Amino acid sequence: MKLNVDGLLVYFPYDYIYPEQFSYMLELKRALDAKGHCLLEMPSGTGKTTTLLSLIVAYMKAHPLDLTKLVYCSRTVPEIEKVMEELRKLMNYYEKEMGMEQNILGLALSSRKNLCINPSVSKEREGKVVDGRCYSLTASFVRARHAADDAVPICEFYEGFDAHGKEFPLPPGVYNLDDLKEYGQMKRWCPYFLARHTITHANIVVYSYHYLLDPKIAEVVSKEISKTSVVVFDEAHNIDNVCIDSMSVKITKRLLDKCSNSITILETTISNMKENDSKRLEKEYKRLVEGLRDATIARETDMALVNPVLPSEILEEAVPGTIRTAEHFVAFLKRVVEYIKTRLRVQHVVQESPAGFLRDIHTKVCIDRKPLRFSAERLASLIRTLEISDLTDFSPLVTVSHFATLVSTYTKGFTIIIEPFEDRAPTVSNPILYFSCLDSSIAIKPVFNRFQTVVITSGTLSPLDMYPKILDFHPVIMTSFTMTLARPCILPMIVSKGNDQVAMSSRYETREDTAVIRNYGNLLVEVAAAVPDGIVCFFTSYLYLETIVSSWYDQGIIDQLQRHKLLFIETQDAAETSLALINYIKACDNGRGAVLLSVARGKVSEGIDFDHHLGRAVLMFGIPYVYTQSRILRARLEYLRDQFQIKENDFLTFDAMRHAAQCLGRCMRGKTDYGIMILADKRFSRADKRSKLPKWIQEHLKDTNCNLSTEECVQICKRWLRQMAQPFSREDQLGISLLTLEQLQSEEMQKKIQQRAQGV
Amino acid sequence: MDDYQTCPKCKTTKYRNPAMVLMVNACGHALCESCVELLFAKGSGACPECKCPLRRNNFRVQLFEDPAVDKEVDIRKRILKEFNKRQEDFPTLREYNDYLEEVETIIFNLVFDIDPTNTNKMIDNYKKENKDITQKNRNRQSQEEMELEELLEAEKAQQSEKANLYVNAELEEKKQKHKAREKLIDELMFSDADAKSIVASHVQATAALAKEQPKAAAQPSSGVVKSSKFSSGIQIGLRGQHTNSFLPIPKQEDLPLYRYTAPVFDYDGPPPPPIEKLGKLNYFANIRAANIAERAGGYTEAMSCCRALQEALGGLFYSPQLTHKTAVLATNSSTQDTDDMETT
Repeated sequence: MKLNVDGLLVYFPYDYIYPEQFSYMLELKRALDAKGHCLLEMPSGTGKTTTLLSLIVAYMKAHPLDLTKLVYCSRTVPEIEKVMEELRKLMNYYEKEMGMEQNILGLALSSRKNLCINPSVSKEREGKVVDGRCYSLTASFVRARHAADDAVPICEFYEGFDAHGKEFPLPPGVYNLDDLKEYGQMKRWCPYFLARHTITHANIVVYSYHYLLDPKIAEVVSKEISKTSVVVFDEAHNIDNVCIDSMSVKITKRLLDKCSNSITILETTISNMKENDSKRLEKEYKRLVEGLRDATIARETDMALVNPVLPSEILEEAVPGTIRTAEHFVAFLKRVVEYIKTRLRVQHVVQESPAGFLRDIHTKVCIDRKPLRFSAERLASLIRTLEISDLTDFSPLVTVSHFATLVSTYTKGFTIIIEPFEDRAPTVSNPILYFSCLDSSIAIKPVFNRFQTVVITSGTLSPLDMYPKILDFHPVIMTSFTMTLARPCILPMIVSKGNDQVAMSSRYETREDTAVIRNYGNLLVEVAAAVPDGIVCFFTSYLYLETIVSSWYDQGIIDQLQRHKLLFIETQDAAETSLALINYIKACDNGRGAVLLSVARGKVSEGIDFDHHLGRAVLMFGIPYVYTQSRILRARLEYLRDQFQIKENDFLTFDAMRHAAQCLGRCMRGKTDYGIMILADKRFSRADKRSKLPKWIQEHLKDTNCNLSTEECVQICKRWLRQMAQPFSREDQLGISLLTLEQLQSEEMQKKIQQRAQGV
Repeated sequence: MDDYQTCPKCKTTKYRNPAMVLMVNACGHALCESCVELLFAKGSGACPECKCPLRRNNFRVQLFEDPAVDKEVDIRKRILKEFNKRQEDFPTLREYNDYLEEVETIIFNLVFDIDPTNTNKMIDNYKKENKDITQKNRNRQSQEEMELEELLEAEKAQQSEKANLYVNAELEEKKQKHKAREKLIDELMFSDADAKSIVASHVQATAALAKEQPKAAAQPSSGVVKSSKFSSGIQIGLRGQHTNSFLPIPKQEDLPLYRYTAPVFDYDGPPPPPIEKLGKLNYFANIRAANIAERAGGYTEAMSCCRALQEALGGLFYSPQLTHKTAVLATNSSTQDTDDMETT
């Protein structure tokens, strides 16, 4: 249908629209008009993606000069595919309505692993290996060698693309990963480089967060995206952690040992080259003396190694004399590695600032700050000169060089923590050096500065005011939308005590208490008896899950549970977990019913949907706080307190509640779905925790359901399930939670939408 | 890895003798402590590996895994003591970099024993030429070092300041609480006012204080917050700054008050005589009177009699044709009575 959103003609590819989708469009349009950033929360299952796409495409069509490109960032490959499907639907609708081909090009980009069509390379499974193999076939020196000697293998697809692909741009349309591969097969062009080449003139680009947030990748891929673009981060509730991970480095003992090996390889290669072909080394040396930037950088395939710091922080001058020649640089690297090895030999935990580290490295091994800053760049240059085609062996050394560059570039917002052993196993020596970024705003700052509009959206962003603080930006719009529902299809409840009136809580003091564990078990058993099909339970950690399950076993609760439903458990092993998931789905599909025990922050809690019968109830046993004794977390909390005036407890609660909300949201995937959400911890009913739940859950959490015992909870469940089991059709929703065009345009509805927009 | 350290002379390992310490000298070859004592009992001797003459006092504990690095660092420190020119001493960056490379080459040559005669000559030349600069620079820190020092200094200052601040804030809070409590007790003891009102006003005062606290804490950050409006009326900056939590707890809807309405019974028969008149109408003649024990429990013969009469008369007017409504109308007049009966 065609909508009028605040004067903008929007083509919406469906016959019906949810009222909150319309409000979402209104807010988004305001942000685009103001050319500012915005933060929007809308429950999952209300069609965020299609709403975003249809409004932004309409805006691009109406204001082709103000807005030229949409960059849509998502988390995983399946999510990227989903976005592409919605986009295809939208474009088909445009074509049908306007009766002609649309001049819009949308494409998805992923790593070489997902896009490679070279039969010998694509059979590799690991992403790094595929990258390395690709580099060994497409690097410019390999191709030059091939020109001289036909026996050197190269990639025919890249050659095809290089010869023809650059002149012929991709015809307009929507290309997901498979389409790109198919197109590549047809033309015999490499789809990966085709996609990367096309990014510059595509209208809509869909890829992963890292292509924009991680400086190591962003520099290569997203360099030439213009300022008049809108960037959307979908499922962005974890965006601060992504930012931090992209700037952090972890160095273990094993990694350093591998480094020593690669240094020896470098040494031998250099001495070989000196004997056989010293010209190239001389050429590189001369270039460095002149302070020239790498001339070969223009070759896209050679950009396998890049600077890990943000572009604005890179020193624009000649490489210092101490590391100009290859031998000196290798000796320099050796010293750095040996120095870090001595640092790892500590007996107790050390925490120091980058400045302290720099001073120490200067006094111990006489290394100045400047050569350290250049180490990543110098290593990249050396590897290129030495024409090493297999990069996979060098990744440890690259990590160390990144660390050296980062530590000497940033003196603020970072910390170094050296732990000689893990907290849980203090007898096993396993020294690790963490170079940890504390400030999530560092990595995302260039994105906010560079693009006119950045949209951060997710199903669970509450409390909204935390994100502007920790990402350090000023949104023009910050709104949370609720779900309009024709029937109360979510039932959130806080169960605070068992039938014996003992309070339920995962507090540290009571978590081992048998009464608490038994009460949790009884709650699960009674809920399992009352609720049909699938039930998903979330625990605060793997450790807690394991202790509880073992004591349930002793108490006979597992036996009782298995009388009603089959039992599946998530483990830390990915393969095991996916097997459990497959069987869980099977058990739910054939009506046997199943219980899945999983962990908040685990794989199941992020990204796996339990819609309809797969998740009729979610139980959250305890509040999923992070492991608060972790030193990295402590350091980050301190930094947040000093820099942003965020209290430690506020941040911890915020973090716990966003994960709890993520877990609860797993069972609601649309308006025809329904599910029970049980929060089994006394502390959830306190105002500071409750008010941090997303608004759409809070709305349904009545005061009377905030302090229930197991029995009361089961009674309410039974009554509610009976109500939900009544037949429910589209007609019931029409006019309330689903609107036709006429209904949307009716005066009454417009007024309601206006009120909703102002109320938030 | 420490377990694999082996003394090249006596082949002791760290695993077998945890107290073993490896030592290195200028040549970069390691020896364990006991070997050093044995071989260099006279104070000097030759390295068992490279046969170069060494002195015992020059042995140091090996710091790095690779003894060659120990040697290099040693040489480097010695050389850098002489070669200590700074970037400020050169007109261009290029020349400084050339100088750095030269130093590096010298160190490299010394470490790997390449062309020792020439290298030593170069060092001597340099020493002669740059005596004053070296002397001057020895007491001067380079700019970079100074920067680092400053940073560390600032960090330390900030840390202590922050620690002080938080400790003070905590103390202050405690003091406030204590004061408020004492004040309340005093007032309760000596004032003539109503105790309830005193407690209420105390609660209000503490709540007001608690509200003020976060504002005061947020004060330092308010420097960055800008709140103004776009021409379109959209606010810039943080929305809802005045409220501490962004989302208010949803309010329960006000339901209407409960009101009692008398229930309506379908009786369908002639009204039975009221319970009080049963005795007068002589209904008790044919039934057993209640005994003393039954009367003690509140039972009278009137009750069972009344119930029997209701049962006998109820439903007499019932006919399938009669609609529900008319039945209600017919019995409407008697509702008052039946009500009473149900409640007795």
